[in-house]
Amino acid sequence: MSNTWKLMKLMVKMQLSFAHRSTAEKTGYLILAVIMIPFGLLILTLLNELIAAMYAAFSPTGDEAVILGVLFVLMTVFYCFISIGTVLSSFYFAEDVESFVPLPFHPYQIAAGKAAVPFLSLYGVNAVILLPGLAFYGLHSGAGLLYYSSALLVWLLLPVLPFVLTAIAIMFMMRFVNISKNKDRSKVIAGLLGFGFVIGINVVIRLEGGSQNMYQLAAGQGDLLGLVTKFFPTAYISSSALAAPASIQGILFLVLMTALSAGGIALFFTIGQKLYFKGVLGLSGGKRNTFTEDTVEVYVKKKPLIYSLFRKEVLLILRTPTFFTQVFVQSLILPVLAIVLIIMEMDGPLGGAGPQLAEMNGKFVILASVGLSVVVFGSNPASISSISRDGKSWFNHLYLPIPPSKVIMSKMLTAYLLNAISLVILSAAALWVIKIPLSIWTAWFILSLLISWIASAAGVMVDLYSPKLDWTDEREVFKGRFIGIVPLAIEALVFGVILVIVWNINSLQGLWPVTGALLIIFLLLVFLMQTAMRKLTERRYHNLL
Amino acid sequence: MIEIKQATKNFAGKAAVKDLNLTVPDGKIFGFLGPNGAGKSTTIKMMTGILPLDAGSISMNGVDISTDPMKAKHQFGYVPDRSDIFLRLKGMEYLNFIGDVFDVPPNVRKEKIEYLTKSFDIYEALNDQIHTYSHGMRQKIVVSGVLLHDPDVWILDEPLTGLDPKSSYTLKEMMREHAAKGKTVFFSTHVLEVVEQLCDEVAIINKGHVQFRGSMKEMKQQFQEDNNLEKLFLELTQNE
Repeated sequence: MSNTWKLMKLMVKMQLSFAHRSTAEKTGYLILAVIMIPFGLLILTLLNELIAAMYAAFSPTGDEAVILGVLFVLMTVFYCFISIGTVLSSFYFAEDVESFVPLPFHPYQIAAGKAAVPFLSLYGVNAVILLPGLAFYGLHSGAGLLYYSSALLVWLLLPVLPFVLTAIAIMFMMRFVNISKNKDRSKVIAGLLGFGFVIGINVVIRLEGGSQNMYQLAAGQGDLLGLVTKFFPTAYISSSALAAPASIQGILFLVLMTALSAGGIALFFTIGQKLYFKGVLGLSGGKRNTFTEDTVEVYVKKKPLIYSLFRKEVLLILRTPTFFTQVFVQSLILPVLAIVLIIMEMDGPLGGAGPQLAEMNGKFVILASVGLSVVVFGSNPASISSISRDGKSWFNHLYLPIPPSKVIMSKMLTAYLLNAISLVILSAAALWVIKIPLSIWTAWFILSLLISWIASAAGVMVDLYSPKLDWTDEREVFKGRFIGIVPLAIEALVFGVILVIVWNINSLQGLWPVTGALLIIFLLLVFLMQTAMRKLTERRYHNLL
Repeated sequence: MIEIKQATKNFAGKAAVKDLNLTVPDGKIFGFLGPNGAGKSTTIKMMTGILPLDAGSISMNGVDISTDPMKAKHQFGYVPDRSDIFLRLKGMEYLNFIGDVFDVPPNVRKEKIEYLTKSFDIYEALNDQIHTYSHGMRQKIVVSGVLLHDPDVWILDEPLTGLDPKSSYTLKEMMREHAAKGKTVFFSTHVLEVVEQLCDEVAIINKGHVQFRGSMKEMKQQFQEDNNLEKLFLELTQNE
């Protein structure tokens, strides 16, 4: 057991340690933490108000435990969803797996070590939502010390079973998938599943939304908690344990929850021992193509250097499964979601919105659509990962005679291309589905081209300032870096101020004058960004290693 | 020709390389030796522009790497000791990319790619992504990339590691031919037999300073004639 513990500590240290991070990165985290305080307070306030409202609704019928039930069910779904990606990545896709296999560890010990970080990361979400949720419930129900101590235990135990069962399911699946042949493909499928999940949940909520609510369900149903937690036994047990913490029944439920969690861990070790290595062995290796004389002809073509660099960036994103899902697919989530919403609302207010827009105040319409563009293009995963994607191969740019400005420009163009795809998708929806007047679309499109450029530059600059190059698994480029928020926050501030100022200039009215003014301001911003980018490149380009 | 003058590099206030002076003449195969942590890699990284110099200067055929990096980088080809090149490119795409970087005409590119990759037995793998290659194959594709643009100066960091005997022999022959044409070959290695076999001159670096620089003959004369290179190396680099 001590070896298992040591291995878990080692893996946690390797992945979460702050020791090897630069001072700039540490300062960045600190600034981010300060920026996040108001958002945190907002979430807490909303959560508190939600629980208060639900408590007021459910307590008259004695069904207040349903609030806990809903909270636990939501968290359980969340744990499972998060764990699919993190377990797959840590157990099977991280490059360091094979370096542990030859060491004298049991399979279950390596599986436990590999599980440590994905499991602990669940407590991050747990601390933000479940912990305050339980505390607010306690405050509204006027609970005593016993409730809080039981709640703390439930808080600790709740992620165990969802995580363990997800990990076991994945180990079963990977046992039978011939991963050595399909490693890249299975990574892409795992990523697309997540994408499908997000779209699917939205469609289901859209279809079901508004037809029923919890309170209507309450009428005519006896065991409401049982109904809500129908497929989630741990949610039922936990809610029952906390509903009456002082009763014998409550204590028994708590003991049952503890026993089930312990049993789950034992099951994880047993199955890990039997299955983990079977899925891991033969991870490396890849598909081999045949090469003929004709292929040389196809490839040997002289191209401009900037095109060669740009092509290299695009191929890297398309061919690396993690980058494909995190950069390419994620970039399309917002526009595709928008289209799904628009199409599902064809008969609703959005369907006929186009002609109405023409009658509205042109100034308002263009300012609002510019605001929308900032949200959609603000955080571009291609830009914030532009330098980090290269990882350990970054140094190759340094000894080859390629001007730094061209390397950075190729990365900018890649990020810009992804924004441009979103822009085209949104344009298609705007023109053909909502039937936005051509003049409004033209103004929005031109301004959005500039916003995309500014947003891409902001992302590239943030990544150039503090890239993560020493990763062993591509997911580390995105995981726990919060880097996407920084450019978004800067843009929200800059564009927010611009929009507010333009809105308050009364002499500036109408679609085209406002568009003209914004165009000049945005062109100025583009110029400023390019100057800043040039200066940052000079300062940072050769000092990243 | 490579000229290193008073080159200095510090890491966290500690000198990895201090006031290093070295001239690598044309027409020679120059071996660069030193124990682990001696400053070999740091020197090579400064020579190739990967690490900026803290003080001093390095020039390739008279072009300073710090003041005119683009021109200087056109003078040399570099084979790094790490095989972390652009792993998601196919072998063929990588070579074509190098061709674009160094502006190699397409007809020369085609001819050389076929010749080099067939010599190194990787022709059949050119349509595969580099991350599927073994270490040796990656080494071969990088070496092919360097030879594709035919630079005057070759800088090779542990170039023979991971190569099979046939490819190792081919590369050594190519190094000899290149030096015979009056060009420069600078390479670092830990394999002392290769140094004895191949080098015209050597430099031994330890703790960031050059301990010895001269021909193999001079080195043996300076120490006991009957000593082999391994003993000399150990004697020169042992910690005081």
